[in-house]
Amino acid sequence: MLWFLRGLRKGVVTSHYPARPDPSTDGLPSPPAFRSDLLTAELADRLAAACPSGALRRDGADLVLDLGACTGCGRCNEVGGRAVAPSGAFELAARDRTTLLKRIPIGAGR
Amino acid sequence: MSEEQRVAAELRKRAFALFRRSLHIRTVDTGSCAVCESEIRLLSSPYYDLHRLGFFFTPAPRHADLLLVSGPAVRAFDPALLKTLEAIPDPRIVVAVGACALGGVFGEDELVHGSVDAVVPVDVYVPGCPPSPLALLHGLLVAVGRLEEKVHALRFDLREEAKA
Amino acid sequence: MIHAATIALLAAAGLWLAATALGTLARSRGGLTVAALVSALGGGAALAGGGLVAIHGAGAARTIGTGNLVGAVTVRLDPLAAIFVALLGLIALAIGLYAPRYHHPGRGSAWYLPVFNLALFASLAVLVAGNAVVFLVAWESMTLFSYLVILRHHRREGVARAAFLFLALGEAGFALIVAAFAILATHTGTLDLTQIAARAHAVPAAWRDTAFVAALVGFGFKAGLVPLHIWLPEAHPAAPADGSAFLSGLVIKLGVFGIALFGFELERGGPAWWGLLTMAFGVLSAVLGILYGLMERDLKRFLAYSSIENIGVVMTALGGGMVFTAYGQHAIGTFLLLAGLYHAFNHGVAKTLLFLEAGVVEHTAGTRDMDALGGLIHRLPSSAVISLVGTLGIGALPPLNGFVSEWLIFQGLFQGFRIGSHLVGILIVVAGASLALTAGLAIMAFARAFGIPFLGMPRSRGAAAASEQGQPLAGPGMLAAVCVALGVGAPLALTVLDRVTRATTGVEIHARLLVPNLTVIPAHTDFSGFSPTYLTVFLVCVAVVPLLIYLGGRPRGASRTVPVWDGGILSFNARMQYTATTYANPVRVTFDELYRPEFHLERDSDDPAGRSGPVHYRFQVLPVFQRYLYAPIVRAVEWLADFVRPIQSGDVNLYLLYLFLVVIVAYLIYTY
Repeated sequence: MLWFLRGLRKGVVTSHYPARPDPSTDGLPSPPAFRSDLLTAELADRLAAACPSGALRRDGADLVLDLGACTGCGRCNEVGGRAVAPSGAFELAARDRTTLLKRIPIGAGR
Repeated sequence: MSEEQRVAAELRKRAFALFRRSLHIRTVDTGSCAVCESEIRLLSSPYYDLHRLGFFFTPAPRHADLLLVSGPAVRAFDPALLKTLEAIPDPRIVVAVGACALGGVFGEDELVHGSVDAVVPVDVYVPGCPPSPLALLHGLLVAVGRLEEKVHALRFDLREEAKA
Repeated sequence: MIHAATIALLAAAGLWLAATALGTLARSRGGLTVAALVSALGGGAALAGGGLVAIHGAGAARTIGTGNLVGAVTVRLDPLAAIFVALLGLIALAIGLYAPRYHHPGRGSAWYLPVFNLALFASLAVLVAGNAVVFLVAWESMTLFSYLVILRHHRREGVARAAFLFLALGEAGFALIVAAFAILATHTGTLDLTQIAARAHAVPAAWRDTAFVAALVGFGFKAGLVPLHIWLPEAHPAAPADGSAFLSGLVIKLGVFGIALFGFELERGGPAWWGLLTMAFGVLSAVLGILYGLMERDLKRFLAYSSIENIGVVMTALGGGMVFTAYGQHAIGTFLLLAGLYHAFNHGVAKTLLFLEAGVVEHTAGTRDMDALGGLIHRLPSSAVISLVGTLGIGALPPLNGFVSEWLIFQGLFQGFRIGSHLVGILIVVAGASLALTAGLAIMAFARAFGIPFLGMPRSRGAAAASEQGQPLAGPGMLAAVCVALGVGAPLALTVLDRVTRATTGVEIHARLLVPNLTVIPAHTDFSGFSPTYLTVFLVCVAVVPLLIYLGGRPRGASRTVPVWDGGILSFNARMQYTATTYANPVRVTFDELYRPEFHLERDSDDPAGRSGPVHYRFQVLPVFQRYLYAPIVRAVEWLADFVRPIQSGDVNLYLLYLFLVVIVAYLIYTY
């Protein structure tokens, strides 16, 4: 049929973000979230070694996640098993670089 | 934060709020793999449509308000990046996007700085590899003060959910 | 008023002769300065004299002695010639002020300055000649002295050849001029110009036509009409700057004067095809002149081609005037004559200015090649402003003089619909359209000629080292002021020119040319009108607006000054700029069939640029007239000379035989 009527039938496709949440980021790669109760020091070290962009490192009794360096590759998910899952977070902008450093306590084995 | 830092942050917020509904963005790629650029380009698509928010891309730094930098700040590009920043009139905002620009992926060596804030002062950091267009929009809206930062409240420790 | 004019012109002649004598003292700086200033004074006197005669609007003649061989030597003050006398005076004044700082004292200047002043004197003689013989003698003297002027730097390469070309073509033209005068003198029985004009209508039509065509081509050689122009681009770069200014400002105008003399005075009321032929030459010169000029890198060669173009415009106006008069439209015919004279005057002023400035550029930057200049606006600020005024004047931009005169010419040509014959009307409008093309190309060409040398960054060390210290400013500056005055004060200039044209053609158009409130209209009130004076006032007032915007809107806080945004590249050097050649490249590509350039590219290897070693590129526009018009004629003459060479065998016996044969033939003729 007439090509411009197709557009009228489809309606408005533009996202309404930020007025309404937008589902397009569902399922996209995102930084990991951890089960601190399942984290051990040894697992933390293995996770830090597995991260190719240096976003994970162990600092004493904490696993430090640098959100800024995370590429969402998912290797920590493979290594960590039940202790690691994608967080689904994408609104990660920050004014201060240190805000992007998240500390997860290594809880298991305490 | 000290009183000085607080006042400075407040001043910066007010200055950046000048651009609430009309912001001109100049993008610079300091050596990225160009996927961040794809996402930035998608902002002009009908789905994300940054024009509805009053944001525009401009090639001329003289007309720009915001400098959008991606890439790990390759050293050879420093003069061009600094010239571009110098050419943008004050008040200006600098936003670094992507894991490379924020210090991940590449460490500092003789070819790259590793992160953009080693070369230019950065006002807003947008993580992601690449940051999806929505993450970019969030970052831009945070920069002009139309949205609040959320990341400080986000918890990456699932045990608290399990607890709750 | 005629008395005062006579005294002024006598003073001018006397001062120039004095300057000739003083010029021999030019081995010292003082002598040079005094001679130049005396020459300038003479110029001022000539300007006053010419101006007075023009304002007076009527001529006078005086006969000195009677000789049996040549008839009486008559000197006449004619309003048509007076315009050119005024131009001569103005140019001499400007050059006289320019010369002290331009020339170096020494032996070269010691013979150059006398010769130059003699050339000025001879030009004055041409313009005040009342008698064909005086005219011809003065004309030849003017050619000879101009030839010597060109030869100033005769040891440099190409100068001798250029001067010889000028002389050779000048002589070819002179032969035709002599023929034209001879035809008219024989058939009217007098050598006096005023009487020839009175009796010319009695000359049989075929002889009148021949005389006019001979005059057109003969004077056309001097005026620089295409295809008779080939000496111009050679002679102007070869001569020193004030010599080029004199050549372009005045000498070619003498050719225009000659054609105007024949077309409007001596043989007035000729058939329309005279005007159409003149217009054809004019349009051809205008279009081809500027097209070839755009391909030139040498500043002076370009200005020479621009002179050819402007003479073409003047000729188109004069030819159009003849056509309109032939069809009974006397008002427009006279109007076009007025516009043509005005344009000739304006061009004389502006082109002289540009050539003098080209001389300054050549002296300070060491080169005339536009592709080696650049950034001179910072190094020669006053010269840049003066050159800009001259460029705007010649490029016909309002409110300067060139605009008014070109506008008048266009307005005259666009009234071709008033002519009875449709074909001729269309031809006139086509000529107007060609002039419009020329005007557009001229703007581009002059934007290039001013922008490339003066703006941007210097493209050579010479250009970077240029300095205004000790350079002449008074002469060119005065001419710039005159350009502005002639534009803004156009109504006054037109009043004077109207008196001149009234004396020449008998038609007064003042009442139809200028309405009381300083507006200019082209001969018919229902066509159009415009006021350069009011336009200037308006432009000045409008300039207040950006000033107010700046005062009201400039930022009050601290501001940063940063370099111009260049895309962030590291090194911006002069080689990245446009060159004159690239700027004109679109024109070259468009008119490729006309230029038929020869390209020559040599490179050491096929590697990409930067790794290929030296690359030699040569580009040459096809010299159409030299190759296809003059070379065959030269070959024919040489063949003919070879053919008759056997007569000069060197054998005395053969020569005695020749003598014997001539005596026999003379005896037979005498007897029968």
